[in-house]
Amino acid sequence: MSVMAPTSDVILEGVDLKKHFGGGGLLSSPTVVRAVDGVSLDVRRGETFAIVGESGCGKSTLGRLLLRLIEPTAGDVRYEGRSILKLSKSELRGLRRELQIIFQDPYASLNPRMNVGDIIAEPIWLHNLASGSEKRERVADLMRTVGLLPTHSDRYPHEFSGGQRQRIGIARALAGDPKLIVGDEPVSALDVSIQAQIINLLEDLKDRFGLTLVIVAHDLAVIRHMSDRVAVMYLGEIMELSETDALFDNPLHPYTQALLAAIPIPSPANRQPKVLLQGDVPSPAAPPSGCRFHTRCPHAQAICKEQHPALEAAPDGRRVACHFWREIQGAGAGSISAPPPSPALAKRLALYQTWRERQDKPVATSP
Amino acid sequence: MGREALRQPSADVHEIGNAAVTSEPPLLSVQGLSVRFDGAPKGVNVVDDVSFSVRKGKTLCIVGESGCGKSVTSLALMGLLPTPPARIVAGSATFDGRDLLTLTERERADLRGDRMAMIFQEPMTSLNPAFTIGDQIAEGIVRHRKVSKAEAMERALDMLKKVRIPAPEKRLRAYPHEMSGGMRQRVMIAMALSNDPELLIADEPTTALDVTIQAQILALIQRLQEETGTAMILITHDLGVVAEVADEVAVMYAGHVVESGPVQSIFEDPQHPYTIGLMGSVPSLGRRQGRLATIRGTVPPAELMPKGCRFTPRCPFSDARCGNELPPLGEIRPGHLARCWYAPLEQKRGAAA
Repeated sequence: MSVMAPTSDVILEGVDLKKHFGGGGLLSSPTVVRAVDGVSLDVRRGETFAIVGESGCGKSTLGRLLLRLIEPTAGDVRYEGRSILKLSKSELRGLRRELQIIFQDPYASLNPRMNVGDIIAEPIWLHNLASGSEKRERVADLMRTVGLLPTHSDRYPHEFSGGQRQRIGIARALAGDPKLIVGDEPVSALDVSIQAQIINLLEDLKDRFGLTLVIVAHDLAVIRHMSDRVAVMYLGEIMELSETDALFDNPLHPYTQALLAAIPIPSPANRQPKVLLQGDVPSPAAPPSGCRFHTRCPHAQAICKEQHPALEAAPDGRRVACHFWREIQGAGAGSISAPPPSPALAKRLALYQTWRERQDKPVATSP
Repeated sequence: MGREALRQPSADVHEIGNAAVTSEPPLLSVQGLSVRFDGAPKGVNVVDDVSFSVRKGKTLCIVGESGCGKSVTSLALMGLLPTPPARIVAGSATFDGRDLLTLTERERADLRGDRMAMIFQEPMTSLNPAFTIGDQIAEGIVRHRKVSKAEAMERALDMLKKVRIPAPEKRLRAYPHEMSGGMRQRVMIAMALSNDPELLIADEPTTALDVTIQAQILALIQRLQEETGTAMILITHDLGVVAEVADEVAVMYAGHVVESGPVQSIFEDPQHPYTIGLMGSVPSLGRRQGRLATIRGTVPPAELMPKGCRFTPRCPFSDARCGNELPPLGEIRPGHLARCWYAPLEQKRGAAA
């Protein structure tokens, strides 16, 4: 969101988090996958914090670690300054109310045998927040809040479209009055027009309930639109952490630069030759030595292969893990420039918006 | 790092209309194609009166959201629609002088994989897990060319080199599961191009891929297209991809083409409310410009589909006439068509209305 959080105190903190899969006992796979390997970050109260990266970079694992949905191999997670790794079962259950998650696939994450009213009521019942008619009233309220008709509460998930199912998932996440919601690719399974509806809904809810959002996503345009700060991940590590506009205007890490350069720009008048990243992401089971990006990095030198770069401080509170970020600044692969819409498009978009608002007024149905 | 030059939209898009009149006939011309699924309500075709054409060496992008009929259209052209339930109820598709829709099954099979080929979205499910990459590419070559298996393997190796797969000799003997998503999509492209097709249909070829891999594949397809002069129909939901590769664009909504024209014209002067809403729904890559424009609701189910313009229930500009009378694909200017009663909107739907 464009408005910065009024306070900058930390609500959730990950300290040197590690999650390694496999390599354990007799029956598990002998290869160790370092899904998340030494990640530290802090999420500030009221902000939208984005974690971005390509498949296999560990962003979803990190999102789950931050909620202790999976146990870290090492490191700590602190919520409101207090470690959540040492909490007892009942304390953890109380915490679940305040920390919620929305999943990517809205169908796989809803129980097909429960009707929507029960799905949304479950957290209310679980945390003893309300019962009887009060509970039903609350469910109806939540459904209205996310743009569903309360009369549909006796329907089952398969009767809803993808966008509506995502609204159900959001209503359920809101049911326990959470403080922080992690969205794990919350819009990437949706069509463009539905995606825009859900993005607007999440932003409205964030303002209305004073939520903190952690968005895990791969779509950089969505992230630029929604988030205040961004962490760019590659093979289990943070490569760059920065405020959103600064990151997009002046990416410091060569991986961030490559990621931005790869986005197709929706303007046919500005087709330009691109410098593209070659090759695939190496396997997280056998990450490259030194800097993990050195095998694909156009600026790599001998030291990159041997020495692991630390996530060091850059100006404006930014952090970047590259030996040469100072030297490669402005080396061609810079910011992306999305040209402004043509006058005709701008005019019609404005006209569309005017009529669109009028469309919503007469009857208050789902947006 | 390699430098891949992206093509500028061809110069003739500026002299819209001329090309269609003066130059040779299009490689593929689809007229009034309608496809119906058994059991659908009367008069609701899943693809309805769809027309477009593709010229040699050019790229047509069909853009639309799930359920708009873009994949059904491409499967109909390839002769891959399962009948029943799908039936082609009207229309023609003239490919190089012959109507594809009247050919026998045998004639279609001779064309498929030879003069027209297709790339699918999910490279894992479209490759056979039980055969090596080399066998699968060679199979198509042996089917259409009078060559020995060894010669076909030789050609398969050439194709792997052409799509820039590292260590191609080794990959020839690899199985699909041993390769990454991006590499599998390269194999699919190698397979599709192995008989030098004149028309390539790519159905969401990069949707399942990461953004850096997507950029590689798009650049590869474009380079190969330049080398071979293959015409392409690219089906996608991503307006960014359209802007980067298309010469011509057809926007589909619920089985209708609602707008079509040269790519610059579509992006700079969009006419149909759906196209405009779609563009407003995509977050900008520039600094934040306030809330996103949205399109209300979802695509209606077939039984609730309006008789007239199918976008009516979601359209901010619609009125009673829209729902009852289907607007024609009107020519806004030469080559740029829009299926809307009120285009251009600022004249017929100025803010005062």
